[in-house]
Amino acid sequence: MEELIEGEEKMQTIRLKIKEEVTNGAAKIPVEVDSLTPDKLAGKTEAEIKAVKVWWGNKEENTGDLFDVSVEGEAGSAEEVKIVLEGDLSRVKRIGDGMKAGEIEALGDVDMHCGAMMSGGKITVKGNADCWAGREMHGGELVIEGDAGDNLCAMYRGEMTGMTGGKVVVGGNAGECIAQNMAGGEIVIKGNVDILTGLNMKGGKITIEGDAVMPGADMTGGEITVKGKVLDMMPSFRLEGTESIESEEYKKYTGDLAMTEKKAKGVLYVK
Amino acid sequence: MVEITDVVCSLCGCVCDDIVVEVEDNKVTKVKKGACAVGKSKLMGHGRIEEPAIRENGNLKDCSYDEAIKKAAEILAASRRPLLYGWSSTVCEADKVGVELAEEIGAVIDNTASVCHGPSVLAIQDVGLPSCTLGEVKNRADLIIYWGANPAAAHANHMKRYSYISKGYWTEEGKKNKKLVVVDVRRTPTAKMADVFLQIEQGKDYLVFSALRALLYGYDDVVPEEVGGISKKDLLETVKMMKEAKFGIIFFGMGVTHTRGRHNNIVNAIETTRAAHTHTKFSIMPMRGHYNVAGINQVCTWETGFPFAVDLSRGYAWYNPGEISATDLLIRRECDAALIIASDPGAHFPGESIRHLSKIPVIQIDPFPNPTTEFADVVIPAAISGVEAEGNVYRMDNIPIRLRKLVDTEYLADEEIMKSILEEVRAIKEKEGE
Repeated sequence: MEELIEGEEKMQTIRLKIKEEVTNGAAKIPVEVDSLTPDKLAGKTEAEIKAVKVWWGNKEENTGDLFDVSVEGEAGSAEEVKIVLEGDLSRVKRIGDGMKAGEIEALGDVDMHCGAMMSGGKITVKGNADCWAGREMHGGELVIEGDAGDNLCAMYRGEMTGMTGGKVVVGGNAGECIAQNMAGGEIVIKGNVDILTGLNMKGGKITIEGDAVMPGADMTGGEITVKGKVLDMMPSFRLEGTESIESEEYKKYTGDLAMTEKKAKGVLYVK
Repeated sequence: MVEITDVVCSLCGCVCDDIVVEVEDNKVTKVKKGACAVGKSKLMGHGRIEEPAIRENGNLKDCSYDEAIKKAAEILAASRRPLLYGWSSTVCEADKVGVELAEEIGAVIDNTASVCHGPSVLAIQDVGLPSCTLGEVKNRADLIIYWGANPAAAHANHMKRYSYISKGYWTEEGKKNKKLVVVDVRRTPTAKMADVFLQIEQGKDYLVFSALRALLYGYDDVVPEEVGGISKKDLLETVKMMKEAKFGIIFFGMGVTHTRGRHNNIVNAIETTRAAHTHTKFSIMPMRGHYNVAGINQVCTWETGFPFAVDLSRGYAWYNPGEISATDLLIRRECDAALIIASDPGAHFPGESIRHLSKIPVIQIDPFPNPTTEFADVVIPAAISGVEAEGNVYRMDNIPIRLRKLVDTEYLADEEIMKSILEEVRAIKEKEGE
């Protein structure tokens, strides 16, 4: 009990506000912040954090030269670290890339690869996230309050497996090919999605509350539920009957038969 | 007058190598045989960038090669996010130096595949490519499918030399014993020659490929009566032709790579080829555009591990078309300098990309002036590969062919220019390091 109370008391907030001169040039060169995760900053002093290297184009710079840094409180481990990113984050890539624990809050639109490869902890984006958010995510939670771009929870080019675990919630719409090669975990999209959701997926669960276009192509496993309309239904799925989900009737399809009957173990629920 | 035979054309991905020209007083005076109208025009020569030049107060001012190369090196060495783009209309030897320069300055190197068959390359990485050489097509193919491609206009010698009209070892009667299927959104000149023309609705290619796969695997029951504007009857007829062919080939063009679905259309086209394999011999090949776009993909792959859109800024190769590809980088205004060689983004990129190019320092290396010249800050003229300079190129089926030099020139070859820039960049870096 004592330990728990002690644990609750310890909490560190690291505020990183990107400097205006980084983002207001004629060329908007992205800053890559995969070195600024709770795991990597836990136990560091403000001065030490300012000296952590981040990539800005083809040069490595000190975090303190690109961000205003302030640290409140102390943390014994990554779980007790919360990083708050502020300012124009639209050219800040790889936020929370590879993070294992702790929390990141981004106050605005973020650039590509937010939450890529993450295996634990939580990221909240209070805006839109550009392409490849949650790429090859293994665990943890990613909440995008606005829209997500293409390839959400998909994979690096050529990689055979996308998301394998964790949970992703998108408050708005999402782009093309989300959850490509997905093998596990859960995704909820409150809005609409562009073409080929769950392309070649092997496992996991996707719920689209809005409309979807050509969902489930080449799927061999997992489950997709589309609560809105399906535009351009794949011509290679077999209608198996109807099923009731949350007291609403859905058509149940299996596929994708374009992968041959033996492999077509995916399930697609359409209203 | 000298007659030169077996001249290789440096225009499109067909890389025709049976051309005969006449040369008199160090000038190509006649193209006697083999070349199509566009190839002939290139061999005969036209307007050139005459002198190296540097832009001053808005106007290009002639200068020496040394001055232009020095200026180019200064721009590149100082850049935080340089882009090196083009590479398809020059030889592999120049491309190799380009990759070396990209590594030296932490640049993004991308080539015209990015706005052409890049989606095909992505698809090939996902599912492989059951392909063959154009020689095999010529000698064996009895079913030719052009999908989203119009060779009658874009690869004028393709049908005659390699496919529908060509006469080969087992196809000695030419088109008499062959079938031609064309899939396109409009009735193109190629479509008018076809035995079967499938007029597909724009952006529905992915659905039609999936339907063909389902039919080739025998699931006729699930395929609806119409897919992508094509009736099930026509789809079944096409599948029958595919099954009955001795050797089928799908040639696909940018009508498939640059419509809704992009690289995934090609994944599906390749999977369709695979499904056809359960019945007969089938092959598939992209209709590559520039004469050495396949070559820069080869060079870039053997140097960095990836064929295009490679970011070397962090000292290792990061490959991500959609993020690192030239048009995307420029639309996002990421670059602060660009070197454009043997290509013309000024004519081919989206407006938003060109707007950013016009705002940053641009170095152009090319034999010919083009829209890119209009905003280039350093312009370096080059010898014409295949006319004034030799070197290796890769045909659309990845067969390496050596371009020949037909006449002498005072202009430097692309490889020499690139080597000089690299040398100059290294000198600047060495000085900075001191």
